Amino acid sequence: MTSLEHILVVDDDRDIRQLVSEYLSGNGYRVSVAANGSEMRKVMSDTRVDLVVLDLMLPGEDGLSLCRDLRARDAAHVPVLMLTARREETDRIVGLEMGADDYLAKPFAARELLARIRAVLRRTRMLPPNLQGAETTPFIDFDDWRLDTLARHLVDPEGTMVALTGGEFRMLRVLLDHPQRVLTRDQLLNLTQGRDADPFDRSIDLLISRLRQRLRDDAREPRFIKTVRSEGYVFCASVGPAPERRP
Amino acid sequence: MAFGLQAPWRRPWDSLFGRLAVILFCGLALAHALTVGWVLFERAQLGRSLMLAYVGRDVAAALAILDRVPAEERGAWLPRIERQDYRYVLAAPAAASHDEPDLARVIREAVASTVGASRVGAAAGITQGDRGEQIELGLLLHDASPVTLQLNRPKLRISTTTVTLLCLQLLVLGLVTWLAVRAAVRPLRRLAVAADGLDLNRPARPLAEIGPTEVVRAARAFNAMRRRVAAHLAERLYILAAVSHDLRTPITRMRLRADLLGAGPLRDKLQADLIELDALVEEGVAYARSAQASAEAVRAIDLNALLDGLVCDYVDAGHPVRLKGSLAVPLRTRPLALKRIVTNLLDNAVKFSGAAELLIEQTQPDAIDIVVRDSGPGIPEGELGAVLQPFYRVEPSRNRDSGGTGLGLAIAQELAGALEGTLSLSNRASGGLEARLSLHIATAS
Repeated sequence: MTSLEHILVVDDDRDIRQLVSEYLSGNGYRVSVAANGSEMRKVMSDTRVDLVVLDLMLPGEDGLSLCRDLRARDAAHVPVLMLTARREETDRIVGLEMGADDYLAKPFAARELLARIRAVLRRTRMLPPNLQGAETTPFIDFDDWRLDTLARHLVDPEGTMVALTGGEFRMLRVLLDHPQRVLTRDQLLNLTQGRDADPFDRSIDLLISRLRQRLRDDAREPRFIKTVRSEGYVFCASVGPAPERRP
Repeated sequence: MAFGLQAPWRRPWDSLFGRLAVILFCGLALAHALTVGWVLFERAQLGRSLMLAYVGRDVAAALAILDRVPAEERGAWLPRIERQDYRYVLAAPAAASHDEPDLARVIREAVASTVGASRVGAAAGITQGDRGEQIELGLLLHDASPVTLQLNRPKLRISTTTVTLLCLQLLVLGLVTWLAVRAAVRPLRRLAVAADGLDLNRPARPLAEIGPTEVVRAARAFNAMRRRVAAHLAERLYILAAVSHDLRTPITRMRLRADLLGAGPLRDKLQADLIELDALVEEGVAYARSAQASAEAVRAIDLNALLDGLVCDYVDAGHPVRLKGSLAVPLRTRPLALKRIVTNLLDNAVKFSGAAELLIEQTQPDAIDIVVRDSGPGIPEGELGAVLQPFYRVEPSRNRDSGGTGLGLAIAQELAGALEGTLSLSNRASGGLEARLSLHIATAS
């Protein structure tokens, strides 16, 4: 059973740790728990951790600084799912330099947590090796557009902010992680929503069409997202984390 | 706001400026008038006593002349001995009146004291001469022929110079009054402007503590009050944040426990309750935070993408929400606040009518309206203003059973202020509610 993925849950509330741990174990993960920063570091130095579920509000060292610390050290590649107090707070903190891979507002449904964990894990696993853990800039540039992965919005060539919904951001992120590669609907669903496709699900097509709208892309003459008949979609523009253009 | 009170028009008396000006000016003018009146009265008194002393001796001299002049030449002498204010007539007085005026009596006695009472008539009378009212006093010469002394009734003469001077003084008085009242009222106005512009979210410059001691005291008190209010607000936010944090943990535990329960109607109901409880806490915190919305940075956004994204979320959740209209230029605004306003309006519409319509309308070259329409029960006209107040609920059509805290519209209203826009509600002719957020466009160039 060593192939089980290892998830570390960091929360100061004993009951929540226990409940989450119980639920995730029941869904096929190996789970460790930590109540604070020092316990978290201890677990991470002892064993390999595949994903950290990190509470933002911790006594002493809070989740924000723990996450930053994690990114700065050799554990930079470990994905982090941040638990925040509320929707409002998520909006506020996503703009801060902390680089969590996803956010979930407390209180959350257990199923939602599971889905997010699966999506983050799959996306990380599928990342090309050159991109893994090499997140040095929060911006991903393509053409004259820029995706701000912290604030989770697009900036168009004129510098205007283009808002994205959570689903749209995740979809674009996945596409940008795999440029010039055809991704099937099944893969996209897996990577964005952590669930397996059912043959009648059109939600991926819907998300793609919305993304095209945000990017002012034309499905018939696409500059960014091309449809590959009976296969899926491919992001056809060149992508690079261009270092210092716009601040 | 559309529901503010506005006085239709103001009378001068309504303002402190008017009142102070009237009181000061009237008081000063009255005091001035009393002084002038007294001076004039005294001058008249002095003139009279001087005149009386003079008239007595002069009449004696005139009588002595007439006594020595032959009777037939007397007529020729009359013009030479007459004075500006009195003259002589060689005849008895027309008729002695019965009531002798005070002034006439005094003159008669003055003349009698110099020429002897036997040569003076019993009483002086008043007649109407060609130069107005005059006093007539009968006198006798040595040869017993009668002579009448005709005196013009003394009039108060005021020269035009005096009148001009008086007018000038009044003018100076008015000017001084205006200056004084303005000096007194100006600090009050400054205070009112400062109170109006009070925004506790921004570190404002304190009111300048300068001027007369009373003004300095008032400014100091105002600044202290501002600090106290800010401290209260910060405390309120702190308490709300603390309460919300402490509630969050048990709610999270309960939701996880419910998720671990076996499927069944009881679990579903429990979950629904917990979601509602969470929404209550969330809205309370959002309301407390809405006072700080102007701290969010302003930036250029694509309004169409923002609103379309919101609409997509509703459509995904199974609510028929449609977006109509678009804005061709980027909008400079605070995106999180705007998102929250539109979300609250859409939530409200979806809650009461199941569907909503979102419109972007350009009303002027530099103004747009973001309109949310539903076809629900609407709100009674009299309560359109009240529903923007926190925790207000319309009974019974929009009641607690429908869920919600009664804070959604209040939050939207508060945030609209932070966007320097206005939020107004109205009932549609075809039924349903229309919420209209009016914003200025400062186009990003």
